[in-house]
Amino acid sequence: MKPENLYHPDAAREFLADGARARWHDQAIWFVRQKRDAQAQQLPEWEELRKLAEQIKAHTLSRLDEYLVQFEENARHNGVTVHFAADAAEHNRIVHQLLAARQVKKLVKSKSMLTEECGLNPYLEERGIEVIDTDLGERIVQLRHEPPSHIVMPAIHLKKEQISELFHAELGTEAGNNDPTYLTHAARANLRQHFLTADAGLTGVNFAVAETGGVVVCTNEGNADLGTALPPLHIASMGIEKIIPRLEHLGVFTRLLARSAIGSPVTTYTSHFHRARPGGEMHIVVVDNGRSDILGNPDFYASLRCIRCGACMNTCPVYRRSSGHSYSYIIPGPIGSTLGPSRDIRKHGSMAFACTTCGSCSNVCPVKINLHEQLILQRKRAFDAGTLKPAKKMGLLAMRFLTRHPALLDTAGKAMRKVVPILPAFVKDGTAWSRPGRELPEMPEHSFKELYRRRQEDKQ
Amino acid sequence: MSSRDAMLAKIRRNRPEGPALPDIHAVPFVTFDDKFAAFAGLIRNLGGEAVMLAEGQTVAEVVARRWPNPGRVVDLTLMQHAEAFTPHDWQDVDIAIVPGDLAVAENAAVWISHPDNIFRSLYFLTEKLVMVVPRDKLVDTMRDAYGQIAIREHGFGAFIAGSSRTADIEQSLVMGAHGAMAALVIFC
Ligand code: SF4
Repeated sequence: MKPENLYHPDAAREFLADGARARWHDQAIWFVRQKRDAQAQQLPEWEELRKLAEQIKAHTLSRLDEYLVQFEENARHNGVTVHFAADAAEHNRIVHQLLAARQVKKLVKSKSMLTEECGLNPYLEERGIEVIDTDLGERIVQLRHEPPSHIVMPAIHLKKEQISELFHAELGTEAGNNDPTYLTHAARANLRQHFLTADAGLTGVNFAVAETGGVVVCTNEGNADLGTALPPLHIASMGIEKIIPRLEHLGVFTRLLARSAIGSPVTTYTSHFHRARPGGEMHIVVVDNGRSDILGNPDFYASLRCIRCGACMNTCPVYRRSSGHSYSYIIPGPIGSTLGPSRDIRKHGSMAFACTTCGSCSNVCPVKINLHEQLILQRKRAFDAGTLKPAKKMGLLAMRFLTRHPALLDTAGKAMRKVVPILPAFVKDGTAWSRPGRELPEMPEHSFKELYRRRQEDKQ
Repeated sequence: MSSRDAMLAKIRRNRPEGPALPDIHAVPFVTFDDKFAAFAGLIRNLGGEAVMLAEGQTVAEVVARRWPNPGRVVDLTLMQHAEAFTPHDWQDVDIAIVPGDLAVAENAAVWISHPDNIFRSLYFLTEKLVMVVPRDKLVDTMRDAYGQIAIREHGFGAFIAGSSRTADIEQSLVMGAHGAMAALVIFC
């Protein structure tokens, strides 16, 4: 769970204090963005695909209740039980009841940001059920008792030395052995024992198909598959927005997801669950938890098209330099910065400002969500709700005043260009612009307006 | 009112306007002159290998040449194969040979689905996975693939592309996370 009252600028400053690690984080994630670009370039229809995905999702949201009913009917027809949960508490209660009724002692879980959102793990653990996260990155952060820092690469903020130490303490691996292959295989052996002895498996859902009543789960590790093929009970938890109308639409989304997420043509396993394994049972919990409120908001409902690929965070210059742990909502980066404030502007207002409005997120998003525009609107809400710290609020008010009085803005700009260069260093060092690693820019002699006017005159 | 009905009513109230469903077949998708070459080239990066069966060659021969000391082998392409009573019975399988219905050139994925779902755990518990696909069942993209599979009939099906892998430790790619450590696709 995220700490209460996390304020993005403060948390980011903490992350940036270790300059070398911050640089490494930035580069590791930028590398994934580049792999995504290489994949996109290989498909001449890439932009067409994004358009199709956007339209399919937009259409689905416009009939979401109908598709959910159709999904439920078809799932029931397959012998699968569908449950509806209005909020996190109801979701956790349903899952717990299913487990308790079957005396489940151990649950193996595949990565699911939804259960993270609902706080399922602590809820079940308090009730005596052992919960094992099985995605390697997810397992690492579980053993460290911290939330994931990325929705696709949960442990991207960690160096292998840290993981080696953790595994030495928790799994008894050799001290000082930092080899990723060695560490991965040690986790594999340990987790396989959990798969073989678990009484139930829980997965998230990437896509739920209304037409067939089944769910699709995409992983590279195969953890969702082992976790559902071995134990007799499979519970799938999904947000209401995971629905797509028809099977054939998977031919659009499965082409976009892994390419956008990790720059791979597809995930190793794209698994379609329509019935429980023989002798087992399957349940699907459909969760609202605030989503239908967002659906009713014309400024923000497009965020429900999200397929959780993570491409927007990989490209975001702020995310790469501040890490997922500096965002107060469980989902970080551009998409989290609109979803979080949509849910609770008082708690997550600062996230809307973790953005340069460069628009890169909107450009890579496979379902074409207008992320940076939403973030600007969220800023306005944060301002109106009075969630800003006084300095930021005063700055914005001053800026608003100046932009509404152009003559004053010109004068202020002129004054700044004259005064800043002659200020003593100790005054400049105190500003937000001159933290270690960044300095106030050189002041130009002329303003943009002056330069522009002169160019126009030269042209004549 | 039940949670279900309350949720659906609220969604109905809040749902926005939206476009009609687009025709996903109206857009031309990529095609490959040599689908096998595209498939075989891709799967190498995904921890797998693809071979085309030569005249007179058998699947068993290819597998034996690749892994001379096979250990426990389960071959689902044969009519007669080992019986399983629980899905856990496959935990010590070294090589599983399974039929694949079709393969996709754009991403090296093979569609795996079996009428007897007790075999489902085998695909993921085995150390090495061999997928045998008819050579005329190679399609260009996932769109073509979904046009050909009957998804509901067996209750479970998966596209499998190469071997199980992860890059969760410092972005280093490691083969063999939870599922098969190696994958071999044989087109017959
Ligand atoms: S908002 Fe778009 S880019 Fe970001 S995670 Fe969702 S689908 Fe991916």
